[in-house]
Amino acid sequence: MNELSVSMSAAGGPVPSVVLPEAPAKVTARGLNFYYGENHALKNINLALGTNRVTAFIGPSGCVKSTWLRIFNRMYDLYPGQRATGQLMLDSTNILDNKLDLNLLRARVGMVFQKPTPFPMTIYENIAFGIRLYEKISKSEMDGRVEKALRGGALWNEVKDKLSASGLSLSGGQQQRLCIARTVAVRPEVILFDEPCSALDPISTAKIEELITELAEEYTIAIVTHNMQQAARVSDKTAFMYLGELIEFDDTNKIFTSPSDRRTQDYITGRFG
Amino acid sequence: MAVQSDAMESAGPYDRAKALSAFKFGDVTFYWITRACAISVLLILGGIIVSLIVGAWPAIVEFGASFLFTSRWAPANDPPVLGALGPIYGTLVTSIIAMVIAVPVGLGIAIFLTELCPQWLRRPIGLAVELLAGIPSIIYGMWGFFVLGPFMADSFQPFMIRLFDGVPVLGTIFAGPPSYLSLFNAALILAIMVLPFITAISVDVFKTVPPVLKEAAYGVGCTTWEVVRNVVIPYTRVGVIGGVMLALGRALGETMAVTFIIGNAFRITGSVFSPGTTISAAIASEFAESDGLHQSGLILLGLLLFILTFFVLAAARLMLMRLEKKAGN
Repeated sequence: MNELSVSMSAAGGPVPSVVLPEAPAKVTARGLNFYYGENHALKNINLALGTNRVTAFIGPSGCVKSTWLRIFNRMYDLYPGQRATGQLMLDSTNILDNKLDLNLLRARVGMVFQKPTPFPMTIYENIAFGIRLYEKISKSEMDGRVEKALRGGALWNEVKDKLSASGLSLSGGQQQRLCIARTVAVRPEVILFDEPCSALDPISTAKIEELITELAEEYTIAIVTHNMQQAARVSDKTAFMYLGELIEFDDTNKIFTSPSDRRTQDYITGRFG
Repeated sequence: MAVQSDAMESAGPYDRAKALSAFKFGDVTFYWITRACAISVLLILGGIIVSLIVGAWPAIVEFGASFLFTSRWAPANDPPVLGALGPIYGTLVTSIIAMVIAVPVGLGIAIFLTELCPQWLRRPIGLAVELLAGIPSIIYGMWGFFVLGPFMADSFQPFMIRLFDGVPVLGTIFAGPPSYLSLFNAALILAIMVLPFITAISVDVFKTVPPVLKEAAYGVGCTTWEVVRNVVIPYTRVGVIGGVMLALGRALGETMAVTFIIGNAFRITGSVFSPGTTISAAIASEFAESDGLHQSGLILLGLLLFILTFFVLAAARLMLMRLEKKAGN
């Protein structure tokens, strides 16, 4: 396992030299930098998300973890003044390529947000909507896809009798699973979770965590979380980010039992952050 | 606030009770003042309705329901013959045409401003829209009379008349001759006048869409158009319809600009290029020199406008309730 760890220079300055993890890399960042206007927010990030693995990103508030996720689907493009440099490869596609078709990218890289974001339409339409953007399929086929997606989101049994109810009528936890189902429905390759449970009660949280573990069989998953137990429970690998730098990236077990960097240790033992 | 915390901190139990009772007096006063303000609205509304009915009573007695279905308006006859069909028709036609033009354009501006516009262009366009709202209606009237009317009569109207000549229904709607005093020109002016309302309200409600909801829609691969159509507009539907209804209310009641350019003709021809009149234009142009039954008839027109506007708002409410039910809320 040792060769997987990020080596640090003695002075604590980051010289991350990531060795490929054992799962083949799905997304690879090389020398990735991110700027809000003049503010250099992410500094020289190098890491790889393993295929069908769950990678967790932890770190104190304000260390641009959410922004970091928004690079994977170029969501930052919506906001003027934000830009990224370096390389972020999704298989053989550079996500940062200006000529990339963003809509296709976002169909490949799905995202689930901090707060549930059901669209203002029925439960059925919430799912069918995304599918219809790319595929012309018959009603019966669509019914099948919607059911499959809702099953994938572990929501089918709760909503199968009220598919025509508004997505907004569901509880918070159900809404979040609806959002996961909606993301799964367009058959992405990577799913990004931005603190998916921070607005949910413990039972809903447990359901979502279970779901994330199941989803990892089919998808490559990145999750940002403030909840370290959650990171420990759901992820295969964990990255600790601090002040825009990637401090340590390693097997989750290793990070939480014997981190190699002092700052990681301080953070996971609750001494700051 | 400072008074309250001082009173709480520095005083013993007795003083504290006294301080609290002083607050209570303030609360009661405040309650009655705000209540009086609220009730005054009801009184004013009721007063207006009553005085309209009293003023219109002679005309109601004289003409009854036939007032609504007579298109002849001959106040100089003896006895006068008054029918509201012409003004009602003109009011509805100009308002509908105005909304048909203004709603898509206003929404288009709002969508561009909130979703697509580069930062540096946002302020100039936003300011221009606001200034448009600030232009007094008399200026729209003069501009319509001297510039827009002649321009339309020389270019757009002949073109439409030629284009639809001989086509069954459209041929009647766009029948000649061109006239710079016409229902269509009045509607066009109205459209320009209500445009800022629709745009300003739409921009405001579009801004209430949570960014993360838009991100979610972009996240499943939507284009900007798809995000606007499927998320932004459904999410803000109630607000947008509210803005449109406000604009419709203004269009129905707008007087000055319309009086300038509509031609004040009470006959109904079926062509939007012919002169017509609206309820408010008829009142404005005739009220000063009216008396007796004629004046009462004009007040009855005003009452009709009031009822019409009321029904528009009621219909809007009903529509919203239906929409909400359909969306499953």
